[in-house]
Amino acid sequence: MQWMIIGQMAVSGAAMGFVYALVAYGFQMTYATSKSINFGQGELVMVSAFISLSASDMGLPYGLVVPVGLLSGAALGLFVERVAVRFALAQKGEGWILMTIIVGLFAVSAAENIWGKDERPFPTPISRESLDLGGGISVTPVELSVAFGVVLVMVLVEIFRRRTLLGKAVDAVSADRDAAELMGISATSAIAISYALSGAVAALAGILVAPITSVGPTMAATLILKAFSVAVVAGLQSGSGVAVVGISLGVLESLASFYLGSGWRETPGLVLLILALALRPNGIFGTATIRKV
Amino acid sequence: MNKVTTLLLAGALVGGISFEAQAADTFKLAITGPFSGGSAPMGGSMRDGAKLAVAQINEQGGFEVGGHKMRVDIIERDDEAKNERGALIAQELASLEGLSAVIGSVNTGVVLAGDKFLQEKKVVKIITPAAGSASMTQWVNPPMQDLYMFRFAAADGIQSAMVVEEAGRLKFTKVAVLHDATNYGVSGRDDLTRRIQAGGKITIVATEKFNIGDKDMSAQLLRAKGAGAEAVLIWGIGPELAAVANDMAKIGFKVPLIGGWTLSMSNFIDNAGKNGDGAMMPQTFIEESVTKVSTAFIESYHKAYGVSRIPSPVSAAQGYDAVLLLASAVKQAGSTDPTKIRDALEDLREPVAGVIATWNKPYSKWDVAHPETHEAFRRENVIMGMVSNGHVVFANPDDRAHLAKH
Repeated sequence: MQWMIIGQMAVSGAAMGFVYALVAYGFQMTYATSKSINFGQGELVMVSAFISLSASDMGLPYGLVVPVGLLSGAALGLFVERVAVRFALAQKGEGWILMTIIVGLFAVSAAENIWGKDERPFPTPISRESLDLGGGISVTPVELSVAFGVVLVMVLVEIFRRRTLLGKAVDAVSADRDAAELMGISATSAIAISYALSGAVAALAGILVAPITSVGPTMAATLILKAFSVAVVAGLQSGSGVAVVGISLGVLESLASFYLGSGWRETPGLVLLILALALRPNGIFGTATIRKV
Repeated sequence: MNKVTTLLLAGALVGGISFEAQAADTFKLAITGPFSGGSAPMGGSMRDGAKLAVAQINEQGGFEVGGHKMRVDIIERDDEAKNERGALIAQELASLEGLSAVIGSVNTGVVLAGDKFLQEKKVVKIITPAAGSASMTQWVNPPMQDLYMFRFAAADGIQSAMVVEEAGRLKFTKVAVLHDATNYGVSGRDDLTRRIQAGGKITIVATEKFNIGDKDMSAQLLRAKGAGAEAVLIWGIGPELAAVANDMAKIGFKVPLIGGWTLSMSNFIDNAGKNGDGAMMPQTFIEESVTKVSTAFIESYHKAYGVSRIPSPVSAAQGYDAVLLLASAVKQAGSTDPTKIRDALEDLREPVAGVIATWNKPYSKWDVAHPETHEAFRRENVIMGMVSNGHVVFANPDDRAHLAKH
């Protein structure tokens, strides 16, 4: 009985963990190229989910809803880069922190006015009927689709970065911006691409998680904090690291809410965050950067 | 006094009088409730039901006050189900010139935060559809002698008794109690626990809490499942109730979900989909054409708001009937003075034919020892409803037959 419960909680938690990992992965992409992250990433998740929901309401089949969502996410990512990040980076300032937060707040107000404050269900053709994994542990196809989608998109992005010219350009800017620019690579474009990718990844997170959590203007408020913890704990460089940390955090949260009570659900993430900041400020999977002065 | 001042004074007097006359032409009624957020289906339906009644009354010229008709002027306020906003709105309404009555409130916490301001200023309020017991019992201790608050909803005391009764009828001996952490959920849990202990035949094997906004209920449900619960008795609102129903399906915990009337909210039914089928809850009104009056009401609601389903039929019907009760009380009082309206409500001489029932002396003189003097609903006005295919239907066909006869 006890093992069954632990197993069940782990399975439910892992599904959410994959989503944390995916959002954290979006943080990493822009951090790699520009050393900036979008603090309004959660709002990108939310707005993309709403756009996908509207597309679905208009009668588009799920097979088209997903690309529409991903494209709108990419477009929103580009928008954020253009209005909130580019100027700040050009001035070598930290203005993007406040600017991305402001764009995020704006997105929440816009969503409340366009789509209303209510939580709405997200239609999906994927079944919610639970499947028995044996031993009394069950999982729903919707949860499996989250895991599958997250792994798939991470693999695709890695292939993009390693195998395509554009991806290699983005990678080169991540490795050394000045050297890359000397080789004729436009750092600005590479950063813009990384923001577009990051936006698409956020949109995918929204589409995948919406059938589980429903869609509302505040759907990503807690999600984004967890994702941020994951990114910091894992380190802002390691892609596989965020996956490991994200899933572990999801599982830990589930177990904490079972053994300590549901009110303690958020604690493992915060404890992990504090420990990581104290013991390994570059993250568990991060590498210490040497700053030459 | 020179000419100019005299003129000014006369002008001011005339202006004052004409203003008075204008104010006296309309009856000021405030409608408050959550029109956005998780409680919006209840708040919105209540408002729309009440406005439907007002529109129909205004078509006939308005409320009858002392032989002439007064148009009803509605003031709407969205409290967003937030206690602090509710308090601010109540303060605003309490200081509003010429306001005679308030109808509304969905959330017990909002009632507790705001009603004291209305009571202080002696504004009549008909609370609907907030069901939490505390809304009325707050006036018992410390005792309030002269109460202007009336409730027009099946109080949680009645509802919890029915939920426990239903669990007993289905021969369950072990149940889990789940509730949200709001005033509504906690007072629901207390009511349920008291009823179950008083009954003695059922034991509570798990008591679990969740917060507004929680999506993952598997921890609480696994504990309930592990403890061998045969039914889940629940007190919460739509979105979280849906999360519970969905997670019950996910972990294969196939037991009946029985709870407060909130299980009929559209955001429960929609978000839970077919996982919500079979959920049972006390209802004061079912959106089915049973009687001539209910058919007419449902049709005119659908037509007025362009919907094919009322988001919360109970709230809509209660909002509608509350306005009818108020209209009757104003007519009997022959005045817009809240104290006279209060006295009339406490002693309504003419029966009021509403969509839920024909209300025959729903209230009596406020008695601190018996808070039910300001409660309109009795056990016999409430029936069990059940979710089936996205609609709430009669859980017990006998209730339908019984209603049809009247």
